[in-house]
Amino acid sequence: MSTLGHFALFLALASAAWAAVASWLSTVSRGRGLQRSAERGLLAAFALVVLAVVALETGFLRDDFSLDAVYHYSSVSQPLPYKIGALWGGQSGSLLLWALILSGMSTIVVLTNRMKNRALMPWVVSTLGLVLTFFLILTNFIASPFAGGPMRADGVGLNPQLKNYWMMIHPPTLYLGYVGFTVPFAFGIAALATRRTSDLWFRTTRRWTIFAWFFQGAGILMGSYWAYIELGWGGYWAWDPVENASLMPWLTGTAFLHSVMIQEKKGMMKVWNMTLVILTFCLAIFGTFLTRSGIISSVHSFATSDIGPAFAWFLAVVFFGSFALLILRLDDLKSEARMESVLSREASFLFNNMMLVGIAATVLLLTTFPLISEAATGRKVTMGPPIFNLVNIPWALVLLFLIGVGPLIAWRKATAENLRRNFTGPALTGAWTLALMLLLEGRAAAHAAADVARGLVRLNFAAVFDALKTFYPPLCFGIAAFVLATVAVEFWRGVRARRHQYGEGAALAFARLVWRNKRRWGGYTVHVGFVIVCIGVAASSAYRKETVQVLAPKDVLKIDGYAMTYDGFRLEALDDYVAAITEVSVWQDGRFAARLAAEQRFHPNMLFPELRAAFLEAKRLRDGDPERYTAAIRDLFGLIERLESREGREVKTPSTEVAIHKSFSLRAPQRFGEDFYVTPLGVDPMTGRANFRVFVNPLVNFLWFGGLVLVLGAGVCVLPDARERKRLAAAMDVEDRAAA
Amino acid sequence: MTASGAYEEAASAILCDCGCHPQSVKDCACARAGEMRQEIAAEAKSGKTGDAIVAGYVARYGQKILVTPPAAGFNLVAWVGPPLGLLAAALALALLIRRWRRSSRPAAEPTAAGSPDPADLARLQSDLEELR
Repeated sequence: MSTLGHFALFLALASAAWAAVASWLSTVSRGRGLQRSAERGLLAAFALVVLAVVALETGFLRDDFSLDAVYHYSSVSQPLPYKIGALWGGQSGSLLLWALILSGMSTIVVLTNRMKNRALMPWVVSTLGLVLTFFLILTNFIASPFAGGPMRADGVGLNPQLKNYWMMIHPPTLYLGYVGFTVPFAFGIAALATRRTSDLWFRTTRRWTIFAWFFQGAGILMGSYWAYIELGWGGYWAWDPVENASLMPWLTGTAFLHSVMIQEKKGMMKVWNMTLVILTFCLAIFGTFLTRSGIISSVHSFATSDIGPAFAWFLAVVFFGSFALLILRLDDLKSEARMESVLSREASFLFNNMMLVGIAATVLLLTTFPLISEAATGRKVTMGPPIFNLVNIPWALVLLFLIGVGPLIAWRKATAENLRRNFTGPALTGAWTLALMLLLEGRAAAHAAADVARGLVRLNFAAVFDALKTFYPPLCFGIAAFVLATVAVEFWRGVRARRHQYGEGAALAFARLVWRNKRRWGGYTVHVGFVIVCIGVAASSAYRKETVQVLAPKDVLKIDGYAMTYDGFRLEALDDYVAAITEVSVWQDGRFAARLAAEQRFHPNMLFPELRAAFLEAKRLRDGDPERYTAAIRDLFGLIERLESREGREVKTPSTEVAIHKSFSLRAPQRFGEDFYVTPLGVDPMTGRANFRVFVNPLVNFLWFGGLVLVLGAGVCVLPDARERKRLAAAMDVEDRAAA
Repeated sequence: MTASGAYEEAASAILCDCGCHPQSVKDCACARAGEMRQEIAAEAKSGKTGDAIVAGYVARYGQKILVTPPAAGFNLVAWVGPPLGLLAAALALALLIRRWRRSSRPAAEPTAAGSPDPADLARLQSDLEELR
């Protein structure tokens, strides 16, 4: 099978390279035959990559440990879904997945566009072919998923923290985002190369862009959720380099989605839109590079290797090549209209772009700052989460404010009447909320204001940022109220207009309103989702409570109105781990809330024969006498300890299963959306004494709920739309006439 | 300062050296963080202040043992660069829009007085379509 995979990958490389070259040649010689051959080259590459993936998956399913990828990321006892998912557990498999998704998308692009977009397609195919060629060079020559060694009895197995449902679907989802940005990029390059820089290229790829943006965002949220329930530190975002890498293209992609609307309506910002689409693609490649190269230490970089230089070269070629082309074509990208006022939708979109790109640039600066600092001063520094939070929150708050302004302010130039009509109510709502929140903060707010002033006088910036923290949650809630009010007013007015005009009922009017202009109302829904996410983030990070206490069975822990009794524990040997499962009862404000089970797991290293034997023995006793079973597991714990002192290193991989009680009861509205989060840090297998870490995270579920609203809104945006189709057809018509 | 106060201060400033992701000793959930917590708690019990504990770690391991680099020297680039960048970008953008507006004014005048601007007509058309 691995020979088949090798060959398939090599032929895929040849096909992709042919597609890139032949498609480019066809623009020189105007040969339709060459172009057709190139398109088929991409289709063939897809089929061959599928074959390679099937070959590798067969290796995983058959436990073929002669393959390095299988040996490192799978094992005999690994449950079936994780054997399949182990494909993207390692570097070479991930790159293969990239190639699979890209070739699949290329196939869809070819099949849906080859009859229509004849002018752009040669360059589109060439660009897609080139990117695919790069990834296939990596998987063929530098990080081959089919590299192998001698046959081995068992594998190392997937990192236990990755054995989680969300970890199985998070990487492919994120990759759909990363890879998806290649399509608008390819069309952008094609538009530049052919000088057909009208609105055809982004109208054709509008849905692709939203698709990529959507999956990138969903992937990020899934990753956060995984971190929340798996890593056991009570949070969901650590500003880890790889998290940042996935955030940056999402930010610039969001900027692109917005600024392209100005080009659509007004024919402005053409150079800027090209810049954004190139930047987004470069950041997507950079993100893949950061994830996989381990240039900055990170929890995700499970392997460091020699793909670094190759990526650096490719990135340089893409970046400088694209911008050189853009500069050559500046004359074709003249704006058709002029900015008329700072108080206009165009200007508010520009400021929104500035914020989004500014946050992306800040994240880039801070993520790479350890490298910069070492190069500049020779001193190593660490960029932990606090500085990211402090420096980025002001940008994010301004951005949140603009979400409220952008959709309602008039194009060209807002009149006083327009501003008064649209913003009086929402501004009052926001100001009122802000005032209320500041009052609730009370003395803390006054102290913080004094601290800010003192810090500024003494030029103590760390202190200034620290004191400002007090104001962020009230500001966030105030601005969120403002934005929600603007959207509510819009929906209410739209529904009212339809009811007046057509005499429809409220529900029908609402449904028709959204259906008639899916982009606009879908966009509003996305905004609402984002605001809900912001509320969840602000509340759960500012008002989180935490405690760490050592408890013996029957002990009670108290935190923030909750009481938790440690009822007891039991030991288990399951799948490929032993677990100490602690059982606790939770009372919320004096009312019984839930019984929870939180686990500490140890995955013994099965490459030690005595450990493997002891583990299998314990597992075998599971259905027998409970006392003997428990004794066997205790022996196993003892064996682990002895082995570790003998070997001088860990012979187990720990992981935790946190337990969470989510409050959605309306009987305690002040706790709505709150999590009670328990994780045992160390459990003594003899006495059961455990070090419990407990968090109370208010409103944290708004984050996930807002994510769902976002998904819904983006879904509405990509639904087929008759008017969209008409506009696209019109754009194509213009192009065809220009070509003829 | 109490021992627990000193502990809190030091544990949230010092990086867990488990080598996974950058997190303070206080926040990190790994086994190594547990050991480091005990080390720091022992120092705090011996009467050291939070600052002194942190200074000791920096002396031993360098600045990279801090979760956040101190806002001094070259590190100011990371601390003050983004807010300054925000201000500069906003200012530049506002000036740019003003310049665009000035340069466009003479061209806009005649259409305002005479026949309607074609862009306006297109916008009107699309707005009407939206209402329909």
